[in-house]
Amino acid sequence: MPRLIIDEREIEVPEGTKVIDAAQRLGIVIPRFCYHEALGSVGACRMCAVKFLQGPFKGVQMSCMIDARDGMVVSTTDEEAVLFRKRVIELLMMNHPLDCPVCDEGGQCLLQDETVSGGHGRRRFRGPKRTYRDQYLGPYIKHEMNRCIHCYRCARFYQEFAGYRDLGPLRIGDRMYFGRFSDGSLESPFSGNLVDICPTGVYTDTTARFKLRRWELERSPSLCNQCSLGCNTAANAHHRGVMRVEARFNSEVNGYFLCDAGRFGFSYSNGGTGHRERPLSPRIAGAPASAHAALTAAREALDNIAAKYGPRAIAAAGSHRNSFESQCMLDLICRTRDWRGPVFFWGPEDRRKTLSAVEGLDGEIAVSMREIEKADFVIVVGADPLNEAPMGALALRQAARKNAPVVTIDPRPIFLPCGFEHFPAAPEKIERYLGMLVWKAVEKDAARFGKDAEEFCRYLAAECESCEPPAAMARLSQLLASCSRPAIICGTDVTLQTTPAFAADCVRLLRLAGKQAGLFFLLPGAGSFGSALLSGTDDKTFADLVEDIEAGRVRALVVGESDPFHHYPDRARLESAMSKLELLVAIDYFPSETVRRASFFYPSSTIFETGSTYINQEGRVQFAHPVHCGGVPIRGGEHPPRVYSDLVPGGDHLPAWKALWQIAGTPDKDAGPGGISPEKFIPAALPAFDGLKAGHGYPVDGPRLLTAKAGFQGKWERASADARTGPENPEAFELLMVEWMFGTSEFSAWSDSLDAAAAAPHMSMNSKDAARIGLCDGDTVSVELDGGAFEIVVSVSDRTAEGVLVIPRHHSFEWRKMKDSPARVSAEKIRKI
Amino acid sequence: MPFKYPLVLFQNRKPDRVATLDEYRESGGYEALEKFIGGGISPKEVIRLVTESGLLGRGGAGFPAGMKWAAVPDSSPFPRYLVANSDEMEPGTFKDRMLLHVDPHCVIEGMALAAYSFSGSKAFFFVRPSYESSAAILERELENARKAGFLGNRILGTDFSFDIVVHRSGGRYICGEASALLNAIMGKRPNPVKPPPYPTEKGLWEKPTVVNNVETLANVPHILRNGPEWFKSLSATEHGAGTKIYGISGRVSRPGAVELPIGTRLSEIIDLHCGGMASGSKFKACLPGGASTRFLTPEHYDIPMDFEDLKKIGNRLGTAAIMVFDQNTCLLGATLNLMEFFARESCGWCTPCREGLPYMRDLLWRIENGEGKEEFIPNLRMLCKQVWNSYCALAPGAAEPVISLLDFFEDEVRQHISEKGCPFHAKADH
Repeated sequence: MPRLIIDEREIEVPEGTKVIDAAQRLGIVIPRFCYHEALGSVGACRMCAVKFLQGPFKGVQMSCMIDARDGMVVSTTDEEAVLFRKRVIELLMMNHPLDCPVCDEGGQCLLQDETVSGGHGRRRFRGPKRTYRDQYLGPYIKHEMNRCIHCYRCARFYQEFAGYRDLGPLRIGDRMYFGRFSDGSLESPFSGNLVDICPTGVYTDTTARFKLRRWELERSPSLCNQCSLGCNTAANAHHRGVMRVEARFNSEVNGYFLCDAGRFGFSYSNGGTGHRERPLSPRIAGAPASAHAALTAAREALDNIAAKYGPRAIAAAGSHRNSFESQCMLDLICRTRDWRGPVFFWGPEDRRKTLSAVEGLDGEIAVSMREIEKADFVIVVGADPLNEAPMGALALRQAARKNAPVVTIDPRPIFLPCGFEHFPAAPEKIERYLGMLVWKAVEKDAARFGKDAEEFCRYLAAECESCEPPAAMARLSQLLASCSRPAIICGTDVTLQTTPAFAADCVRLLRLAGKQAGLFFLLPGAGSFGSALLSGTDDKTFADLVEDIEAGRVRALVVGESDPFHHYPDRARLESAMSKLELLVAIDYFPSETVRRASFFYPSSTIFETGSTYINQEGRVQFAHPVHCGGVPIRGGEHPPRVYSDLVPGGDHLPAWKALWQIAGTPDKDAGPGGISPEKFIPAALPAFDGLKAGHGYPVDGPRLLTAKAGFQGKWERASADARTGPENPEAFELLMVEWMFGTSEFSAWSDSLDAAAAAPHMSMNSKDAARIGLCDGDTVSVELDGGAFEIVVSVSDRTAEGVLVIPRHHSFEWRKMKDSPARVSAEKIRKI
Repeated sequence: MPFKYPLVLFQNRKPDRVATLDEYRESGGYEALEKFIGGGISPKEVIRLVTESGLLGRGGAGFPAGMKWAAVPDSSPFPRYLVANSDEMEPGTFKDRMLLHVDPHCVIEGMALAAYSFSGSKAFFFVRPSYESSAAILERELENARKAGFLGNRILGTDFSFDIVVHRSGGRYICGEASALLNAIMGKRPNPVKPPPYPTEKGLWEKPTVVNNVETLANVPHILRNGPEWFKSLSATEHGAGTKIYGISGRVSRPGAVELPIGTRLSEIIDLHCGGMASGSKFKACLPGGASTRFLTPEHYDIPMDFEDLKKIGNRLGTAAIMVFDQNTCLLGATLNLMEFFARESCGWCTPCREGLPYMRDLLWRIENGEGKEEFIPNLRMLCKQVWNSYCALAPGAAEPVISLLDFFEDEVRQHISEKGCPFHAKADH
């Protein structure tokens, strides 16, 4: 641990700490442009110059380039260093336009700060300023190259950190240009980070441009709820609308960065444009009503149903979009009122997969995204990180940059922004390949694994005997055998029901072999972990509710932030079932089909308007603070209201849990939203939450909520026997419905900003399959399902597993025509058109 | 009379053509290769002999060649690479081109022996694109050397295999900087990279790589054939070793490249070997080693042109490209010309170089064109000092002519300011 003196203050720092960081620990922030903790030091901008007075280095040196050493004496205020830093600013300002008044970075600009703090006020340089032609970089990022100070941060993030190549430095000297070879949308789905990372206004957020000034914003720590990772964000609101979302540093979760879906996918909360108006007014039978009237009427209607058919005729449904508060409230109401539910899952498969993932995860084997970055071997099974959890792909890249081999076993033609080895595998083959890879790596030590692992080892050995491993598997097994911190990333969308448990057992086996193996699940949504925790006893899913409705057992349905019409795979059946209902109560912020049909509708607050807890896929409890009060956003150009009122226009929304409490929770119907607090009802639903509270109170933000050590799941021999009973028609293709980063989620359906990046849907299939039925890449086909046909373009690849058709749940076409799930399609049902 | 010294590198120089393989062999060429590689003499011995000979790198920095080879650790991985740096973009410098047009096999043999010393198996001959004729000559002669068994698999039937690839540069000054050059070969942007790790440990594709100047390599066969003592005895000074190709340009009667004992006095080089100053010209100053060295004034007209001696007066031998200026030359104009080059050729990586050099160019241009102000001079001095804090040696080198201009010819600069224009232009106008 080197000890050094900076500005006459002594500090001891860990070996390898740069002087610039050592100073920061003392609260001395040395000016910098190119240095960024996530990108490391390169010494390009020369802004962090300090004077070394004693020690192995002497004179003015860059503090980002030098490791702290014993005996160093450093001065940040030495005249020579200060003059040099001042010169660097002068040099940067030679060409920088004085357009701060019209620059969106103004007020949060590092260059502005350093220029002012460095005392540069007059431009001595008498030459003309350099100008560039800007490029079109797509819907999210506005390019303004004249402002560039050539710090290289953008190129280093874009190319080195994120692994995309279409933006970078061009030309040399003072003509150097950062951009693309030619105009066009940035290929990277992490492009929004350029806005955060650029120390000046070269890259600004197109969606927020010219709408705001930093100092006018209401700003709060928030979360992204678009996937299960729970990345931390800082949300900015202005004039009752969310204007911009930025990445918020969290060392364990997302680090410094955020994906574009998370950053730009907030426009639903402002109502979007055109027909995508966010419903902000309560409705009774489609007609606007007052908040009190809507809540009271819904309560009375529900009481009537309960009186007429009994409380079991009422069912409640939530979803993965719910905050944990809302999920607990649904749970509380169903328990106290004896309603059916709540159901959070669409079908039994989803439910079992998520539950077994949550049960299989314990504090010992769960790893965070940060630990994925440090893994030295990563196996991705049945998961498409870039589409299902984009920041996970970025974490994988960091591992790959440190030479960790990355292996993907998946039916989809996976793409990752790093080098990786892909084994196309239909869902039923995923476990076999994973088993082979792991077993060959640990086989030699199997004798000392003990009794717990006996059955699993026997099963794996038998599996390996039964078939030939794909080429390259043996080499990868050897690498796996020699690594020390492997991690398995397991998805829950296209996998078999048993795969999450299988992956967990593989991790346990690797741990028995002496490795610090970790497990990282990807779950369907931000609220999945929470819903799994609350779905313990009742084995029901939305599919069961549909049956109950059809059979007349359920007469009323309460849906909280859930849209069955988006998710349910058989639209016709759902429509007929929903029309049988006597009462449909919807609480939501999307203008969804369910909301449109609801007899009673109450608008709920989005994550930006209410404090809400989410538990991410590694069991980490995090809290999103409210950013603003909500209401109808004031659009640009409108005059502020001249008549003052103490009511917020469009402000009649409540957090879903509060609305639910008023509709069905509180015993006193006139009591209002008071009298209940998440601090009480969350631990009532989930006692483990109380343990977290110690020292934290409510809200809880940060700790992991994981069940006790899970141990081997076992029962593999029987499970495998079940799995081997193949489908009735083995020739038919298995239809795999998958998520895409843009275009498939509910957020994407209701956010113009996400729609802008959505590509047209296509169906992926293996080239051999395509040749067999006479299709080539780019053909448009009609796929006939039980409930009708849809048309889609075919994308042919060797990297797609044989026997599957991979189709995104894209909102641009109607795919919800499946009677069974997963559906199978025989070759003659696919016609070229 | 002019060629009273023994010629080594230029011994096969023909007035109108390139020396052939046979001519090179007649003069003793490839004997060293046959003796050391063919005879299986230990690579360590090659390093020892070259180190003992005192051969200093001829690219400008003057680092001992043997020590560079010895810096490749014995335990380091294979393949190991050699790079011959013939980027030669230092203004005024043309010695490497001369060497290739005189006796290419001397360079080829030197490369094979250098690679042998650290078990290198592949070499890149990095040549600037405007030297297409040199590249073509080399490619032709490489084929001849392969046919003769001096290159390729199992050279002379031994276990040592080695071959050379001619790599045409993109043609930028910064590509001559060793670490930027390696980036360029790997197809990356040629930004310099600061050691550690040194290229001798992790260079091309993370493998040990030695970068040598072409002239350095050309000396190697001669040293090995004739011994280190002979090499030392070639020098005109006590401390020097070998001969040096001086490339003289500017206001002399007979500009060109001459091979002379290292440490030959500047006066002798100009007066004897270049036929004196051009008629009507008087020596005003010269740049002794390319554009990134300091102006050398008449006071030092007798200086021995060797690394040591120039260092003593705060200057550098650099590439020994001597640019001679006479009394009618505006040195401010000459410096501005050089600064145009350096500002254009900055790679753009670090601020002092990318923005500082155009700043200097602007100040010099304004002074030269009558827009100069008194305060430009301290500003220029400060800039010259501050660009030393840039990432690589490009900007400090670029500042050398400027700071020496201010040190030795401040009056001339001030005259530009007070007369609101270039005094030399004015004279030419009349």
